[in-house]
Formats: sequence, C-alpha cells, structure tokens
Amino acid sequence: MQTRTEGAAAQVPRQKRGVIGRFANMSALRRQQAYYAILFILPGLAVYLIFMVYPFLNTIYLSLTNWNGVAETKDWVGLSNYARMFGDGAVLKSFYNNVIWVILGTILPVVIGLFLALILWSGARASLLFRTLFFLPFILPLVVVGIVWQWLYNPLFGPVNKILDSVGLDQLSRGWLGDSNTALYAVLVAGIWGTFGFVVVVLLAALQNVDVSTVEAAMLDGANWFQRARHIIIPQIGPQLTMVTSITLIGDFSVFDLIFVMTGGGPGHASEVLATYTYKAAFVQNQAGYGSALAVLITVLSFVSAVVFVRLRERQR
Amino acid sequence: MRRGSQQQRITSGTPNGTPWLGSVAKYLVLGIFAALVLYPLLLIVSTSLKDPLDVTANPFSLFTSVRFTNYLDAWTLGGFGGYFWNTIVVTVVTLIGVLTLSTLAGYALARFHLPGESIIFFTFILGLMIPFFSVMIPLFYELRDLGLLGSKAAVILPAIAGAHGFGLPLGVFLMRSFYMDLPEELADAARVDGAGEFAVFWRVMLPLSAPGVAVLAVLVFFQTWNNFVLALLYLPGTENQMLATGLYLFASGRTQDTELAAAGSLIMVLPVVIFFLMFQRQFIRGLTAGAFM
Repeated sequence: MQTRTEGAAAQVPRQKRGVIGRFANMSALRRQQAYYAILFILPGLAVYLIFMVYPFLNTIYLSLTNWNGVAETKDWVGLSNYARMFGDGAVLKSFYNNVIWVILGTILPVVIGLFLALILWSGARASLLFRTLFFLPFILPLVVVGIVWQWLYNPLFGPVNKILDSVGLDQLSRGWLGDSNTALYAVLVAGIWGTFGFVVVVLLAALQNVDVSTVEAAMLDGANWFQRARHIIIPQIGPQLTMVTSITLIGDFSVFDLIFVMTGGGPGHASEVLATYTYKAAFVQNQAGYGSALAVLITVLSFVSAVVFVRLRERQR
Repeated sequence: MRRGSQQQRITSGTPNGTPWLGSVAKYLVLGIFAALVLYPLLLIVSTSLKDPLDVTANPFSLFTSVRFTNYLDAWTLGGFGGYFWNTIVVTVVTLIGVLTLSTLAGYALARFHLPGESIIFFTFILGLMIPFFSVMIPLFYELRDLGLLGSKAAVILPAIAGAHGFGLPLGVFLMRSFYMDLPEELADAARVDGAGEFAVFWRVMLPLSAPGVAVLAVLVFFQTWNNFVLALLYLPGTENQMLATGLYLFASGRTQDTELAAAGSLIMVLPVVIFFLMFQRQFIRGLTAGAFM
C-alpha cells in the first residue's frame, strides 16, 4: 500500500512546489508528508462524513421509502413520495410562497441596500455610524428579530396599527400575522429588515474601488444622479452586486427560522414554505419518508438557483 | 479628507445647482432607515426595563418605566442563566472543533502531497452546497441511535460537520486557500533547521495563519450562537436548551411575561453586539470571502 501510494504521488508532476525538489531525500519527505496528511485530514473528514455526508445520502434513501420514523422496516416505495408532492396542495402553496420569498426577499434588500450604499458613498457625514447601524439587524439572532416584529404587528397594541390609526388609515390596520392575506408579507418585511444592512456593507466596500474620474466625466456631460448610478457606478461594482444577490438568493430557498417563530407557517398554510412544511411532515406527522422527499426538493431548488447564479456571474466576467 | 470632499462634489447634487436639495433628501432617507432600524432595537431595550404593570398599560411605548430586576428574573425564573451557559459551552466547543480540524485539514490539503487529495477537497466543498434540511431528518435518527439526542454533543457535532453552514466545509475551504498563499520557503527553512512536519505546522505556519483563523472564528461564533434549528430539533429536553430555543419557548409559551422575554432577548443579543463591534472587520471579510468560491 505504501509503495503504491508513493508511486502514485511521484507520477504527478508538481511544478508549483519545485522548491522541494532541491532536497536530495525527496521521496522520503513525500512519504512522510503523505503520512502526516492522513493524520491531519482524517479527524475532520471523519466528523464530516459521519454527520453530513452520511445523513445526506440517507435522506435520498429515505425519500424512496414510506418510513414513519418508528417502524423496524423501511418499505421501498420508489418515486411515489415525489409523485405525491405534486398532488399535495400544501406543497404547491409552500413552493409558491418560497418563490415569492425568493423574488421579493432578494430584490428588495439588494435594491434598498444598493440605494443606501450609494447615498453613503456620495459623502454623507457619519457614514461609518450609519453603516454600523444598518448592519446591526443582520447580526441579530432571527429568533429575536421574529419576537420583536411580533410585538410590532400586535393587533391591539402594536405600533404598526397604532401608526396607521394615527394617520387616518385605520381601515388598513389588522392582525398582520393572523390574516392569511398578509401573513407571508408581514414576515417578509421582518426578513428584509434583517438583511438589507449586509448588502449596504458589502457594496459600500466595493464602491471604494470605483474610478471617480469616470463619474466626474459623466457629470460634466450632464448625467443626473440616477444616470450616473445606473450607467457609470453600478457596472463597476457588478461582481460584488452579483455576489450579495447570490448569497441572499441561495439562503432564501431554505428560509425557516423567521417564519417558524412568527407564524409557524399559518394561518392554515398561508405563510408555509417548503422548509417549515418539511419540518412538520417529518417531525409532527412522523412521515420521515415523505419529509425526506421534500428535503430533496429543497436541495435541488437551492442547487439549481446556485448554478443559475454562477452562470450569470460567468457571463458578467 | 480631501478625497472625501472631492467625491462629495462629484457624486452628490445635480449639475444645475441646488445641491442642498439633494443633501436634504439624502439625510432624510438615511434618517428614515436609521429610525426603522433603531425603533425595534430600542423597543427590546425599553421593554426589558419595564414594570410588568406598565407593560400591560403601555405595552409598546418607549421607556415609560425603568427597573433592572427584570434581568435578574429572566436569568433565574426565566431560566436564561442556564440557557446562557449552555450556549457558551456549545459555542466554545464548536469553535475549538472547527478551528482545530479545519486548520489541520486545510493545511494538509494545501501543502502535503497525498494521492486523491483533490477528491477529498471536493468532498468537503460539496458540504457548502448541502442545506441543513437535506440532512435534518436522518441526522435526528442517527443522533437518537447514538444516544446523543438531547445532549450538547447533538448540536456540537453536526455544527462542526457543517450542518449550520459555518463548519468544516467552509473552514477547510478558507484555511486551505489561506495556506496556499503563504510562502513555502518558510516551511523549508524550518525543515532545514530540523523541524518535523508537525513542528513546521504548529510553530511556523499556524501562527502565520492567525488572521485567517480569526476570520473563521468570528463567523463560527456568530452562526453557532445564533443558531436556532439545530437546538430546536436535537435538544428536545429542557436541560441543555440553548438561548435561541429557550427564548422561543419562553416567548411562545402560555405565560406572557413580555418584559422577561425582552430581557432574555437582550441577554442573548448583548454578547453578539459586543463581539460584532470588536471584530467588525473580520466578520465582514469572512462573509465576503466565503462567498467568493
């Protein structure tokens, strides 16, 4: 085994590490390095394989069974869990909600964040203070964000309804989280509150590298603020803009904490998303098999959105 | 300073004059967003200081009464003291685990020659694309069968493995790219001086990678401290409950002690905010570096 290992390593030319070649005892060093490499990698690899890779493969396997989490045997049911998803109204509703969340929950923080970053960059006083302030919600635990927004939406005493009443829009006030027309959007607002600051910080950093002379030239040509932003500044921060968009986009398909804390997916399935429904299927209704199929769906959707995104980025380069 | 004023002239205002109008609009927008961010934060602080009677009378008006005993009550009666220590233990052990294992593996993958190392690296990277929900269900039964369910290890081990997104896959990725950028000559110099491979790593390379380790540590701290769903699923008992789930159970429970929920929120948030103000730079660098795959 050892000689084979050494032989395989020797066959691979490594020009980058040519310095090592100066040593006369190269093969001995390599053998020693391979031994150390195994020693260094193995503990981490073991933990990772046992608690990530194995359960991941197991999810795929369970999705093909009708296991209920308790029974000794796991009956193979083929793709019937997947077929069932398409006839399940709650899954369709969850998927629809997820798509809304992905679209609005990505676009709005990015647009708001970009706008604020541009304002701060154009030389506002105390811009560091504003930057830190805007970033604060992003570092808060989502449980805390959910709890405080529940207070804000409180039907009787909540400041949201109080403000609406005081400006004469009392016909708009309602139990925002209990009304099936508004529940999802009310949670979404809390989600946007928690993410836009991240966009501000990343884009403000990117803006520091914008070539000011190009902006100056556009200004002399009579371009207004929006024209300058759209045609001169934004193209120069393209990669970072794509990056923040991708981070929010990919995370949005597995949104869970905020919805779980604020509405639990309710009322009914009004604010249900795939992650909360998967949780319920697997741990409330004990359908480990069906829940696993839903988990595979989330994985595929996240993966597809990541791939689409990487493609978009490549086109930019 | 000079550059700032030059920039201001170029990027604000309109070409035809009236720059003050643009300036007023600018601060109006900033002010509105600052208020939108600040109000909920102040609401937590103010509610955590309120008298219970005052909470029922003026639930969401700011600073109508001030008393500090709510924190004491939340800490003892609300059980947040216990949750706090559990969260510290889980976070610290997870941190040590992720940092140790990913510096070792990242260094080996960057510097040692091992057949199949690219396959091992790719396997680790795959973890960055696996959302928690795709391991959540079997992991529950796996932890149950190992007898770990309800113990701190039920959160720590999956967190180290990367179930909450900031474990070994991210750590190995970050540390490997960090070690690739360090000059090999330093290691060779140490080898010439007779240092063994472990000493090269421990004495030479690890200290040089301190900035990278700091970035990783800050990310892992935030993610583990704030994590909700791992504790929700794998700590069904109350004994080892963490702050996120403890707070959720308390706030959604039958007793509506809003002022104690607020005090509990603050107990959870305060270390995060302090940590953030201390390590802002590392945090932002890590978030952006992790995304540039």
